[in-house]
Amino acid sequence: MNQQQIEQYVAGTMTEAEAEAFEDYCVANPEFARQVEFEQRLRAGLAQVARGSTSEFVRAEPPNYWKYAAAASVVLLLGAAVFSWRMPAQPSQILTAGLAGAEHAGASMRLALVRGSGNVPRLPSGEVRVEIVGLFDPESLYSIALDHFGPNRNIDTVDALAGQKPASPVTLEIVVDSAQLEPGTYSLRVRRQSSEEEPLEFRFYKP
Amino acid sequence: MDFVPCGELARRIKEGDVSAEGELIRQFEPGLRVILRRRTGGDHCLLEDLVQETLLIVIQRLRGTGLEEPDKLAAFAAQTARNLAIASQRKAERQRTDLDSDATERNADPSRSVVTVAEDVEAALAVRALLRELPQARDRLMLKRFYLDDEDKEAICKEMQLSEAAFNQALSRARRRFRQILEERGFAKRDLLSLGL
Repeated sequence: MNQQQIEQYVAGTMTEAEAEAFEDYCVANPEFARQVEFEQRLRAGLAQVARGSTSEFVRAEPPNYWKYAAAASVVLLLGAAVFSWRMPAQPSQILTAGLAGAEHAGASMRLALVRGSGNVPRLPSGEVRVEIVGLFDPESLYSIALDHFGPNRNIDTVDALAGQKPASPVTLEIVVDSAQLEPGTYSLRVRRQSSEEEPLEFRFYKP
Repeated sequence: MDFVPCGELARRIKEGDVSAEGELIRQFEPGLRVILRRRTGGDHCLLEDLVQETLLIVIQRLRGTGLEEPDKLAAFAAQTARNLAIASQRKAERQRTDLDSDATERNADPSRSVVTVAEDVEAALAVRALLRELPQARDRLMLKRFYLDDEDKEAICKEMQLSEAAFNQALSRARRRFRQILEERGFAKRDLLSLGL
């Protein structure tokens, strides 16, 4: 058995008889089987990453980032100045950063993308710690937008939070102040900052 | 790891040697995972269940009636795994027909989805790390075309003006690094689950 056969097996291009003989060989040869399993997982991992976006595969060679960083800093400073001038002194915050591992006295809710599930979780009352389960890059920052689905199918973004670091590779935690939300259906859109990935959407409803 | 021949494993288990059962599990589990990974469509929870079930059936058979051809123990285990995967697919199809979909959704087991997520996360994180490390856009594109678009190796080489040797070398480097990343991070599924899931 060789690498070419591993590729053929994992790509599904062997005949059924060839695949069965290959599998019998795998069971009898654990180290070879591990090699095959890594190939299977590499393919699955690539597919998983590409499910969001294929931008990571086609990004260009690293440019001179310092030029962009300098330009971005100027824009950010100007933006921050204008923002602080226009905003009221005490903006109401529905979303706040979660403190991973810290004690939380109020209710909790877990949001996950469950394949084939049509269930929409219910937001408890009070300040709710929301644990978002998904695939997160621990070295990236994420922005979260809270959308409200209106009666005429209009969608309003009611709050947003940027610069959130995942608590783990599979969880991102925030706090949602339920008291500030009207009853209805909402969606949390989670997006990796500085990327072209599609955001992950997690729906819930406030009774 | 010492390798124990199938015939000897079968004989020792028949004689009640518990350490041989442990040996059988260590030797056969990687191969059974390959077979069942291919047949469970990314449902890692089902994959784990079927691996366990296969090993249990094989051990029980060896403890009981044994095999006519003990040297073909690996082939017997592989066939048992395939049969279980087929039975599981049939059962799932029957359930899809018998149950109303709302009831199925209401009874969805949340822990199952979390296990599924964890295994996917493990591989995807390693792939992301790998893609970040690959400095050349050409190598990333090559992985995409070969694994995701299932393009022919020869066609990729021709279009990217690569020799087959250079292509294989780049692919082999990527594979090695992927394996290394997974091993360095020590991302076993249980580790991820203990991260707070």
